Amino acid sequence: METVFINELKPFLDAVAESGDLYVPKKSEQHFVFSRYDPSANTPVSAFAESTGVEFNNIRACTPVKEFLFPLRELAAVFPEPMEPEDVKPFAVFGLKECDLRSLDILDKVFTEEDFEDPFYIARREKMFIISSDCFDPGESCFCNVIEGKAYPDHGFDLNLTQVNNGFVVEIGSQKGREFVEKHSELFTKASGEALAERDRLRTKTLEQLEKNNAELKFDTPIRDMMDKTETSDVYDVEATTCIECQACTRICPTCHCFYLYDTRQKDYFAKMKMWDSCMRMAYAQVAGGANPRKVLGDRLRHRLMHKFVYFLDRYGLQMCIGCGRCVDAEAGDVDIRVVLKKLNEELGKTKVKAKSGGS
Amino acid sequence: MKPNLYQPINSEIVDIIDESPTIKSYVVVAEQPFKFETGQFVEMTLPGEGEAPFTPSSSPADTEKMEISIMKAGRVTDLLHTCKKGQKVGIRGPYGHGYPVESFIGKEVYIVSGGVGLAPIRSLFLTLVDRIKDFKSVVCRYGARTPEDFIYKKTLFGPWQKINGVDMKLTVDKANGQWNGNVGVVTTILAPNDVNIKNAVAVVCGPPIMMKFVTLKLLEFGFADKDIYLSMEKNMSCGFGKCGHCMIGKYYVCKDGPVFTYDQIKGYPKIWD
Repeated sequence: METVFINELKPFLDAVAESGDLYVPKKSEQHFVFSRYDPSANTPVSAFAESTGVEFNNIRACTPVKEFLFPLRELAAVFPEPMEPEDVKPFAVFGLKECDLRSLDILDKVFTEEDFEDPFYIARREKMFIISSDCFDPGESCFCNVIEGKAYPDHGFDLNLTQVNNGFVVEIGSQKGREFVEKHSELFTKASGEALAERDRLRTKTLEQLEKNNAELKFDTPIRDMMDKTETSDVYDVEATTCIECQACTRICPTCHCFYLYDTRQKDYFAKMKMWDSCMRMAYAQVAGGANPRKVLGDRLRHRLMHKFVYFLDRYGLQMCIGCGRCVDAEAGDVDIRVVLKKLNEELGKTKVKAKSGGS
Repeated sequence: MKPNLYQPINSEIVDIIDESPTIKSYVVVAEQPFKFETGQFVEMTLPGEGEAPFTPSSSPADTEKMEISIMKAGRVTDLLHTCKKGQKVGIRGPYGHGYPVESFIGKEVYIVSGGVGLAPIRSLFLTLVDRIKDFKSVVCRYGARTPEDFIYKKTLFGPWQKINGVDMKLTVDKANGQWNGNVGVVTTILAPNDVNIKNAVAVVCGPPIMMKFVTLKLLEFGFADKDIYLSMEKNMSCGFGKCGHCMIGKYYVCKDGPVFTYDQIKGYPKIWD
């Protein structure tokens, strides 16, 4: 992929902000959350303390990228007179990581599916300019390397930045990205071989770090097959015992996309609203009359994880987990997706041993 | 912008028929041409109140209007039962896959239903009798709680029983003085020789508990899993496999169903719950 170089972030971000709202990560306690970039502000958003570079988000933000495309609550329909389509203006998001971009691959499968295209998602997706950046400081809960991730993106961005010694290597990932670079050519110089070598070094170092952090998370079988074979395991019931149904795991998950449709009455029109929902909620699958196939918490945890690693993969060819670890950080109970996977793997090992000894 | 798949079609309830103490049929006319296949379902919105999935009970051949039979079972259906003629409603759909009628040609169609489960079955029944010669026979077994709980009484007790090629038997769980027929749950009127199992398909629609025991009975008779068609009732909300509420294992009941063969879903836990 073609690369260029910038020394400073501020002129680059100012240029991006010329064409629409730009969202950048901002430190909030120990996390990063996205907020709108204000080019006129005297002090740049704290994330870009240029002199030190320490607050350039080296890890994914807390906010799942789905918020930009599929907000928590949105108007889905108005009747009897249909609403005018919303005029979505171009916007840009800076600081997305490889895991975030893979979550977009997953959401795209759902919301741009032929014959069932979600018009609101698509309208925003088309107007979104994506400036991703490499992840150099994976968190304790990050396990993307276990789920086919690698902490730097190779697709799904318009521009990708890697922070190196005296600036940023900028990779061009799309036609939109190329047009931006051409339009603002004065901002860019050639990326030196030295800068590129440093980038590669940093990338390898991060991957090594991830491998080290998740050394214990090794599976003997592909996760899909392991999950499929242990579907009836009571690991789910045991692990779900600390769940207090806060639903944070599904809300913060960048790939969870369940929603709830409900109707409201306004002064002179009726509206259908669409709001995030959670399959961990007790009444989620309940029908009128009270029947509910997933009354039990363990069954809901089982369904959530089977959906992520088996059902979605079988249908769309992708796992519905990116290994970002947000669910681990967010939830109020003590359910850890990594622990569930580990225990299922151990259980599968045991059944294999049993089958072996039984057969001999 | 792409067409909005969440937008209901403005429609009107032009007639309401009292079927039983808990079930009413609504004749709905949509402002735009609206076609469906038998067994597909629609989402009906009571403006400002809510939306619920229903399988039309009328024949798809009637493209002018659609009939929807609704049992009082929850918040939205309770409200729908208070509606009067002229009520504006919204319709989205049709969604999912209905009954594969073409694949039934030349076969005996063994239909077992219970309670309000006769609603989708009525649509199938009307579709089949329209071209009754295409099928070896249509064998119907239908149960209701009490004689009052039967729906479509006028046609059920009269014209439908007289159609050449149709074999109909009814039962009630609990009889009253007027009832001369069978008393017992619907499985008590199923017999292994009702149809020639080698050349038959079974279609089952009713409350989950009834579907479960009828399916077990059919298996006992020797029906193959793939020849048992089940209309699954789950929490279908969006209608196109996105919102997630109606999932049974990997299937979205709304998009992959609502009609499934038993072999498709039997491996998943708690399908009857």
